[in-house]
Amino acid sequence: MSVPLLQLEDVHYRYPDGSAGLAGCSLSVSRGSRNALIGANGSGKTTLFQHCNGLLRPATGRVHYAGTPVDYGRAGLRALRSKVGLVFQNPDRQLFSASVREDVSFGPLNLGLSDATVAARVEAALQAVGMDDLAHKPVQNLSFGQKKRVCIAGVLAMEPELLVLDEPMAGLDQAMQEELLAVLDGLHRRGMTILLATHDIHFAYRWADRIHLMAAGRCCASFDAPALAGHEAELAAIGLRLPSVIGLERQLRQRGLLRGAPPIHSCSALLAQLQQEDC
Amino acid sequence: MLIEQSAYANRWRGVAPQAKGLFALGGVTAAFVAAATPAAGLGVAALLAAVTIGGARVSPLLYLRVAAPALFFLAISALSLAVSVDGGGLQATAAGTHQAAVVATRSLGALAALLFLVLTTPLSDLIALLRRLRTPEVLLDIMVLCYRTLFVFAAALQDMRAAQAARLGHLDRSRLLRSLGQMAAHLTLQVWQRSHALHLAALARNNDGPLRFLGSRHPHARRDAGLAGVAALALVLLAWSGR
Repeated sequence: MSVPLLQLEDVHYRYPDGSAGLAGCSLSVSRGSRNALIGANGSGKTTLFQHCNGLLRPATGRVHYAGTPVDYGRAGLRALRSKVGLVFQNPDRQLFSASVREDVSFGPLNLGLSDATVAARVEAALQAVGMDDLAHKPVQNLSFGQKKRVCIAGVLAMEPELLVLDEPMAGLDQAMQEELLAVLDGLHRRGMTILLATHDIHFAYRWADRIHLMAAGRCCASFDAPALAGHEAELAAIGLRLPSVIGLERQLRQRGLLRGAPPIHSCSALLAQLQQEDC
Repeated sequence: MLIEQSAYANRWRGVAPQAKGLFALGGVTAAFVAAATPAAGLGVAALLAAVTIGGARVSPLLYLRVAAPALFFLAISALSLAVSVDGGGLQATAAGTHQAAVVATRSLGALAALLFLVLTTPLSDLIALLRRLRTPEVLLDIMVLCYRTLFVFAAALQDMRAAQAARLGHLDRSRLLRSLGQMAAHLTLQVWQRSHALHLAALARNNDGPLRFLGSRHPHARRDAGLAGVAALALVLLAWSGR
């Protein structure tokens, strides 16, 4: 079995004000996979993400990147942060510069790259998120969704191996969510490993390869997305229900109305399957 | 916000900031050179305003709205210089009037030169220019953060005001005062939280020193600077001949 790209082992963390962050959290992310982290507000998702990037250091437990324990020295953190890109939930808390192009250049310049290389990376990153037309715009004139894409571009320009996104769909309308999803799919096709937090179990089932459930600072279950139907109890424990498409698929199969290979991950895929079988 | 609006929408938005800075510097120099003769000083100010409005296509109304507070203070200052108070009440002396005219026209010229610069150049370009001029990094970092957070807090302030108004927080004077106090307290807390969040965001993107950004590209920067240099020199010579 290959070495996980990122691995947390029994990580504990408590904030200076005494509030709990992580309590024995273990999680593993394979290279090239799409991972959805699901948990209620306050379950420790953001704290976990900040451990992925070395912003927080475990009180006890270990974080490994590509099989090597994270080195919390200056050079070690520099290396880790150039490989793990973190996109925060609120774009206004991440964007520094008032200009799109300038802000995207911030990360690669911190890597010590030449201006010409940074300029090329900025163009490529803006193109990847479909923001190249708006590169000259001031950040304050962008919509919420566009700001989110600038945040992603700012991290992509550092060319990370692992992209960590804290609730990227929060605050986006359906159209913007679809656009962002297309961006993420494009990045995954290029070989990037993605870990994102979401509250949307339907989205996680449809999109992810692996699903991780989080509660009270612990990752209480990790499984392949197609196996979600077998984890109804764990989902119920964090206040979620199985996606409706699973129940629908079960019923249709029991009644002999559906024969194709299971599982089907979305209602639109189910509909397409039914139409195909009708033909 | 008017300055911001004009800086991004004017015709010379794409001109290299060093060229605009050079011309503005020429404008300030011309204002000082011409100030001995108030009419020449007025001419320099008028010429700079004409270049801003006619050349860069800044709306005259916007120009006046931006200039109005400075013009008001200038008028008050000139009046206090021109008029002196003695036993017989208010009196305007010839020397005082001349001094007021010199100061006022010089200030008008300098104001017109600075308005040319800020109404045609986005602050991010100006910061890039200051960086090239080797301004201390710490000052530039503060400028970058203040400029960005200005808009973030303007939005937060607007949201808070709307939320207070929606819950009758502005119904009468006492409630308005109370709401304003709460808003100030909440905003202070937000400033602290946001500054911590920005620090984390900087660390996450590998920052451990000054905030560095790639400047805007200006393919004709040399040509622009050359033209601006010639124009600035012409302006100074014109001011010199008119004094």
